[in-house]
Amino acid sequence: MFLAWNEIKYSKTRFALIIGVMFLVSYLVYFLTGLAYGLSQDNRTSVDKWEADAIVLTDDSNANINMSMMPLKVKDDITADDVAVLGQAPNVIRKEGETSEEAKINVTFFGINPDEFIMPEVTEGEKFTEDYEVVADSSLQEEKNINIGDELKLAGSDITVEVVGFTEEAKFNVAPVLYTTISTYQDVRFETIDDSEEGRISALVLRNDSIDSIKSENDDLVVYSIKDYISEIPGYTAQLLTFGLMIGFLIVIAAIVIGIFMYVLTVQKSSMFGVMKAQGIPTKYIGSYVIMQTLLLAVIGTFTGLVSTLVTAYFLPAVVPFKNNGLFLLIITLLIILFAVSGAFFSVRTVIKIDPLDAID
Amino acid sequence: MKLIEAEKISKVFTDGSQRITALEKTNFSVEASEFVAVIGPSGSGKSTLLTILGGLQQPSEGKVLINGNKFSEESDESRTKLRFKEIGFILQASNLVPFLKIEDQMRLVNKVTKSDYEEELVNDLFESLKISKLRNKYPKDLSGGERQRVAIARALFHDPSVILADEPTASLDTERAIEVVEILASETKNKEKATIMVTHDERLIGYCDKVYYMQDGKLKLDKEKSKKHKPDEKELNR
Repeated sequence: MFLAWNEIKYSKTRFALIIGVMFLVSYLVYFLTGLAYGLSQDNRTSVDKWEADAIVLTDDSNANINMSMMPLKVKDDITADDVAVLGQAPNVIRKEGETSEEAKINVTFFGINPDEFIMPEVTEGEKFTEDYEVVADSSLQEEKNINIGDELKLAGSDITVEVVGFTEEAKFNVAPVLYTTISTYQDVRFETIDDSEEGRISALVLRNDSIDSIKSENDDLVVYSIKDYISEIPGYTAQLLTFGLMIGFLIVIAAIVIGIFMYVLTVQKSSMFGVMKAQGIPTKYIGSYVIMQTLLLAVIGTFTGLVSTLVTAYFLPAVVPFKNNGLFLLIITLLIILFAVSGAFFSVRTVIKIDPLDAID
Repeated sequence: MKLIEAEKISKVFTDGSQRITALEKTNFSVEASEFVAVIGPSGSGKSTLLTILGGLQQPSEGKVLINGNKFSEESDESRTKLRFKEIGFILQASNLVPFLKIEDQMRLVNKVTKSDYEEELVNDLFESLKISKLRNKYPKDLSGGERQRVAIARALFHDPSVILADEPTASLDTERAIEVVEILASETKNKEKATIMVTHDERLIGYCDKVYYMQDGKLKLDKEKSKKHKPDEKELNR
């Protein structure tokens, strides 16, 4: 630590550059992670909100809820602790009175029974009680300036719905969710309302202690665990993989960059190390100084990157799907530092190979 | 008391099919308070002798004892330890760490040995080498003579029994060179070290108690002076 820190103090510019590179790379990694996490959350927050264990879709739908359609009566075919019906329909809305292109908003309608467990907690306003009333995701309020009492007109039909309340963190497939009654959902999707047992819904959402003990008496239905279902949301897994690979590569690149820097510095200093070895300073001491220095640079670099990420997140507009997750930040910090330090071991190998004899001849 | 002793050491290299004798069978020893010079043309084997004595390479035959320890028979690790404890190196260029202030060069020794930094010890040492004013400077801000004085301080700091100096005055003008050797000589006496200096600078040998001459791997005693002898001007300017 003594040598490591004194050298950093002495060659400020040189080490500032290395820290600068570490900072930029870690900043980029943190930022991408925030985006990846934010985007993945936008895909699934509404699903997570259910706090459910499983979802029932039709076999033919291939786990795609858009393609799943079943009559209300299938609820009787499923045995689970708690069962809720769900109708899901994507649509485009526009605030009543607005005509511009920008006022069009992609949304997802969730038709539910307000007395079942998937009814979200309303953070502002009230629950819907009548048809054509909706509880909307709060992002509509924050980003689109839609307020309680506003009428929303659906694209391609005469239906309008009224916002009666807001809930938080309710996005499905990156689109804000509008919670409404089953009847409204049917009207939105099929332009007809069917209150009978034959009325169509999209899925059943289940709560049960164990997925295996859920019983289905209908061969046309498949029970998916929520985890499996989320990974089957169209685009979700692809997104995560893309971001994951980018982040992974960046971490490796950060390690290689700092590894190369340290290696070049070590080679430059090899005559000094030769003298130190001749004096009897143990290789272990010199090696640990190189490792320590890398650790210091990596810690300072990632820390400034982390702080900048948090600052950036604070000033970022709400439209950007950016969300920090403490655990991810921690894991990534540790990974960058770990990889950087392991890169420094190449330099240590060089130190081991230096022959103190060369310092004399 | 013999602080360093070489018994029948020799060094043979093989270069392709050729056998090159860098050092012929040599007996050599230096006592406490003795300042010995080894002179000779370059390539004569001076450095080989010095590096074997310093444990940086093993002799082909024979053994080296430092302060009673069979130096050349130890493992690499314990040789490194012994080297650190018993030998102070002063090298041609400078054995200073470029990014440490002069005082921190000494502190480094304490860091390696995990011992406490003794301010007073350093003060005394710096005082005797007239480098007290330099303690907060970096090596690059020092003149060549100052740097070598600091190097001597560094070599003496951990109180080794043997000082090995490899061309310590190579980059200095006569005045500075003499100054450095004077200090080396007086510290050898004051601190009862065994000092071996390899040089081809014959201006300096007047300060040495014994002068060995080396040629083609053969070491022979060139001159031995009485303990009280002081070099005269002629000898210095030869």
